Amino acid sequence: MKYFRNLIISIILVLATLFLANKYLDSYLVMILSNIGIFIILAVSYNLINGVTGQFSLEPNGFVAIGAYVTALLLLSNDEKTMQFMLSDPSPLILWMHSSFIPALLISGIVASLIALTLAFPVFRVRGDYLAIVTLGFGFIIRIFAINQDSYTNGSMGLSNIPNEANLISIGVFALISVIVVLNIVYSKYGRAMKAIRDDEDATNAMGINTFKIKTIAFMTSAFFEGIGGGLMASLLTTISPEQFSFMLTFQLLIIIVLGGLGSTTGAIIATFLVLGGMEALRFLDEPNFFTNTAHPGLRMVVFSLLLILIMIFARKGLFGDREIWDKKWFNFKM
Amino acid sequence: MIQQILNALSLGSMYALIAIGYTMVYGVLRLINFAHGDIMMVGAFLAFTTYSVTSSFSLAVLVAIIGASITGMLTYKIAYKPLLDKNAPKISLLITAIGVSFFLENLFNMLYGGVPQAFNYPSIFDKEIHILGAVTNFASIFIAIFTIIVLISVLIFLNKTKYGKAIKAIAFDFYTVKLMGINVDFLILLVFLIGSALASLGGIFYAISYPSIDPLMGVLVGLKAFAAAVLGGIGSVAGAAIGGFILGFSEIFIVAYFPEFAGYKDAIAFFFLIFILLFKPTGIMGIDFERSRF
Amino acid sequence: MKNLALIGLSILTASTLFAKTIEVGVIMPLTGSLAGYGQMTKKGIDLANQMKHTLKNGDNVKLVYVDNSGDKAQTANAVNKLNNEGVVAIIGALTSSNSLVVAPIVKREKIPAVAPVATNKMVTRANPYMNRACFIDPFQGKVAAKYAYKTLHAKTAVVIIDKAQAYSVGLAKAFMKNYAKLGGKIVKRVFITSGDKDFKAVLSIIKSANPDIIYAPIYAPEMALMARQAKMLGIKKPVLGGDGLSDATLRKVAKDAANGIMYTDHFNEKATPTKLSKEFVTKYHKKYKESVPSFAANGADSYFIIFNAMNKCDKLTRECIAKNITKTKNLEGVTGKITIPASGNPKKSAVINEIQNGKIEYKATVNP
Repeated sequence: MKYFRNLIISIILVLATLFLANKYLDSYLVMILSNIGIFIILAVSYNLINGVTGQFSLEPNGFVAIGAYVTALLLLSNDEKTMQFMLSDPSPLILWMHSSFIPALLISGIVASLIALTLAFPVFRVRGDYLAIVTLGFGFIIRIFAINQDSYTNGSMGLSNIPNEANLISIGVFALISVIVVLNIVYSKYGRAMKAIRDDEDATNAMGINTFKIKTIAFMTSAFFEGIGGGLMASLLTTISPEQFSFMLTFQLLIIIVLGGLGSTTGAIIATFLVLGGMEALRFLDEPNFFTNTAHPGLRMVVFSLLLILIMIFARKGLFGDREIWDKKWFNFKM
Repeated sequence: MIQQILNALSLGSMYALIAIGYTMVYGVLRLINFAHGDIMMVGAFLAFTTYSVTSSFSLAVLVAIIGASITGMLTYKIAYKPLLDKNAPKISLLITAIGVSFFLENLFNMLYGGVPQAFNYPSIFDKEIHILGAVTNFASIFIAIFTIIVLISVLIFLNKTKYGKAIKAIAFDFYTVKLMGINVDFLILLVFLIGSALASLGGIFYAISYPSIDPLMGVLVGLKAFAAAVLGGIGSVAGAAIGGFILGFSEIFIVAYFPEFAGYKDAIAFFFLIFILLFKPTGIMGIDFERSRF
Repeated sequence: MKNLALIGLSILTASTLFAKTIEVGVIMPLTGSLAGYGQMTKKGIDLANQMKHTLKNGDNVKLVYVDNSGDKAQTANAVNKLNNEGVVAIIGALTSSNSLVVAPIVKREKIPAVAPVATNKMVTRANPYMNRACFIDPFQGKVAAKYAYKTLHAKTAVVIIDKAQAYSVGLAKAFMKNYAKLGGKIVKRVFITSGDKDFKAVLSIIKSANPDIIYAPIYAPEMALMARQAKMLGIKKPVLGGDGLSDATLRKVAKDAANGIMYTDHFNEKATPTKLSKEFVTKYHKKYKESVPSFAANGADSYFIIFNAMNKCDKLTRECIAKNITKTKNLEGVTGKITIPASGNPKKSAVINEIQNGKIEYKATVNP
């Protein structure tokens, strides 16, 4: 009962804050908060496969791209499609597909997780390290596909004029849902199995758990929410094109979940605020500033990568390790 | 046809040179060194700067090899070794490798700007050579021959010398080698040195063939080289070379004979990767590391 | 005497005290892969601001730069940030892709904006606040088609399309449509992807197609390598491209192989169409010690367009500036006389440039 009471209270609080923020804050802050909201969805789901299940994957940019394109194609009207498609005419499938906002997001999530299923087969048969390269390659292939199949994606022209149905409130609601779902998984028997796989896959296998099934469930769930995140992104920015789903997106998420603590959902949420806020705040590094007299564009990213390396060497467990903010012993600076 | 074979030979050589470095590091550390492709970029840029300043290409190559080797060894010492010593989980190493890769790319982006630089080199490499009706340049032939020499040297080193055999032993059983009193740290540094030196050579050759260099040039090439290493059998130097040439040939031939799929040529490497993982995960030369202790 | 001087001084101080600083926002890629283009454009905007920074009413115009790294999300943030800071107008973004992000936001927030070099026609669609300082791709393609067919007497053409660049796809389509209308024949379309380094395969295809001209609406890095490889393969056909070839990388990397390449562009410093143009070129040489890239010229013109609109306003509101931008008539700019109709797309002339020995030679001006 206590759980439900706390749950309802937190939901109401979050919704109220979102509503007020959307109404009274200026558009710059609302945009940043909306971005943070989407990244929260991406981070907590990415954490599920990387942190909780311990399978190092670099998949987000691929699934986010899929989600974004599916949602965009479902939301655009036929007239828009015919007008925008440049090199080739839109294929009949593209003209046929249409839906409203929420179903579009759900379909994006489902498509992404189905593709995750097909990827899981070759990849989870072999261990660990290969998942990273294969998912990285997958991201590349999706981008190449998006560029070349212009009757489906309009190629490099991308899609614009996407209906802007995503606002701070809808994004916030989805973020809330994803966090609740992920936390429920983590605290369920599936979550325990995932953590067991992370800690020692052989022992888990020996205990009779179908590690392939658990890994696949984790991977598919990550993909599902990443697809939804992609759809929200498309609707927020109103324009998408292949080059924005690059490895940089995955890298940002990686920094976020490492900083928050691999395996900690609340850590990922807090880290999202820190990293995204930090990236905006650290803009001054690219200008002439306190440290240097001339502008050095690019210094910001150099500092960010150094930060990641330093965190990995000295504070590998991140802010919360693999615990949540309500578990008693956190601030695990165990070297 | 001859034309395409000649093109493929030089492209394959470059992939092979870089793949060897990947495979050697994976062999001893079980680590996919994501930063390896960027070492190739470092080599190209160091050569570029040295040549612009001194106009001596041999010096440029020397500086590039030394600089890249130092960079490679430093990344081991500073970024990987601390984690290995703490028995950190594999995922931390992989994340750190990505961090190093990003750091190198952004560092050179900050130093040189994001615009591609024109890579200058002695014009002898441009000298046209006509073979059996096809036109190629001195560079392509030189690269191919040089790579084969390098490959043979590395194989001799690994199989016939004391250090080389010790390195192979580490790849087979890390802890026992340590127990035998062998200085594993030194040998791993040696592996990084050789791998980085080869990568920097690969970078210079790449820059001669395609004289426009930018900080991100190593990313795609590095990934493809890794796919080539897996294709050939990760851990096997000969396999890496074989994989490199197979990849080079496939890319050239797909574009030449199936131009409608030309846009997918970069994806070929990954298709190979998934294919080999599905059917023969240990690759063509098939060293099964899962059986060995690590 | 002293009293007069004192009064004069106080009036001067008073007017400067009352003179406000008006901010104009600029969104450019100053880092990232597009940084080269962004820096080029910035030089032009900075010089323009230096040349004209005091309005008729005494206010000072200051530029506020925000870097978008070529990224869409950052572009959106940048627009909102500048909106909050109270800028009266925005110059940006650089690429058509990013300008497409700017367009709906400035429409919603009612901020006048001018994109210096975004040529995709969708950027200004149905948007009274979004404008540009350059011609659009349909026009550029038409100019190229006409030049190829009528002036160069090329009856057959091969078109090279960079599938990964919206610019290339759009421009190629415009060329092909107009070229066919004139009676020309497209014998082959070949596709490349930016980032490609090896073009020998597509060049062999072009060689066997044997066209009168090669139309290559691609970017400089790819053209540079392609030109070298074409030379090696012995391909000696005339090459015509678009403003993407104006980047110095092409000349630096391809060296001799680039000789003879022609392209449509916004500007050539040897053909200064107005007095302001000459002044700009001279000052640019003095300040930056290099020849004027067309992106800088367009950047400067974006600034001048906004500056001119501001001068027509009694009260410097965004509405007033936006309205006056679309009333710009025969404004003296660096690239020529600029007139901007309600569509936001100015009627501009294009120049044909040719590369010879590392230098840009001026060939012709084509008027709309």
